Amino acid sequence: MRNHRQSEPDRLRRDARVAGLRDFQTPSLEAVEQRRRQLWQRTATALALIAALVVTFAIIPSNRLAAPGTGRILFVIVALGGGLFLWAFHKETALERLTRSLTDERVLTAALTNRLHEVSLLLDAGKQINAHLQMDELLDTILRNACELLDATGGSVMLVEETDLVTVCALGRDAAVGQRMRLGEGVAGYVAIRRDPVLIDGHADPELFPGLVLREPYVESAMSVPLVHRAELQGVLNLNAPIGRSFTEYDLRALAVFSEQAALAIANARLYEAERAHVAALLDLRTRREAG
Amino acid sequence: MVAHRPRVLIAEDDPDTLVILRVNLNAAGIEPMLAGDGHTALERIQAESPDAVLLDVLLPGIDGWQVLEELHATGNRVPVIMCSGKNNVHDLQRARELGAVAYLVKPFDIDRLIEVTSEVVGLRTTDVAAEPGTAADTELA
Repeated sequence: MRNHRQSEPDRLRRDARVAGLRDFQTPSLEAVEQRRRQLWQRTATALALIAALVVTFAIIPSNRLAAPGTGRILFVIVALGGGLFLWAFHKETALERLTRSLTDERVLTAALTNRLHEVSLLLDAGKQINAHLQMDELLDTILRNACELLDATGGSVMLVEETDLVTVCALGRDAAVGQRMRLGEGVAGYVAIRRDPVLIDGHADPELFPGLVLREPYVESAMSVPLVHRAELQGVLNLNAPIGRSFTEYDLRALAVFSEQAALAIANARLYEAERAHVAALLDLRTRREAG
Repeated sequence: MVAHRPRVLIAEDDPDTLVILRVNLNAAGIEPMLAGDGHTALERIQAESPDAVLLDVLLPGIDGWQVLEELHATGNRVPVIMCSGKNNVHDLQRARELGAVAYLVKPFDIDRLIEVTSEVVGLRTTDVAAEPGTAADTELA
């Protein structure tokens, strides 16, 4: 039985040695494929030679075949062919294991690369978002970055105003800006109340989302995520997929991660706005006092 | 003598989870195969016919549900254990309809995962019972 606890590099080296890859310092699928081709070319050549020998014996006149030792030679040739095939099969098994292991390594490397790419994109988006304190610029940056990140055609940012959600920024549907809906109404209202991201694929169910207004043009796939910072709901971010493309749960998770940074930036911008209003009020008070 | 070890494809995008599952399945006598996205998972299932698939819902490209739908549509009967962060009846029902044999909710207990996987590939015969009143950690078949 093979040792299951053998480390992956050890197993790779062992299989490479068995398969005949002795200079296997840098494992690669290409090297394994090359070795496989080489192995079967050589095996086919050797088997062809053996077959030729057997045929030669077959066409020799029968009286000469009766010579002592001829049958033994024929047996040795056939046994050699069988042995050669078994040897090639053994090598092929090791090569198959190597291919599987190297494919696994490639998958792991690709998964790591993808994760790094995602983190890098999110960091870039975070930097761009945090470069703004003016609310209008910030909302525009959030929406554009979200669309770029997830290859969306449009969407909107809705902010909480008392018991309503107000569309304050939109891409693709400019007419939507200023629209107001109560918390709990429609998909965005549902997301705001439940604070759970929602993925819509096809028609949204009006029973699940009371107060849902079907829009024209019809959107095949959409996502809505809550913008929550320190347990306080700031709003909802909505994205629409281009025609022919459907968002997946994977996209929804990426948008949910992005929304955390967006919510923080919105909360900061709101604080900045409040601070500016406070300073303006103090300056106004001082001006009045000095005037009075 | 080389003993046959059941092969299980792990379709998961998170590199840490891939490594953890690979190490643990290996230690349990199961030969792991890896896929980091839905396309690779489908390719490896079709090309290498694993004995079972641990299929995460969140996969880049085509997600776990789409992979399961494709397997269902093409009549591929490889046993699939769905892994999801969501614990709701709707997803459980969907997994059942698409032919998954078990549904595990993340974060999962690794021992439980090994137990379910071992039973699915025939290494164990203990009963993988559903926990009453919850959609989590449930055998569907």
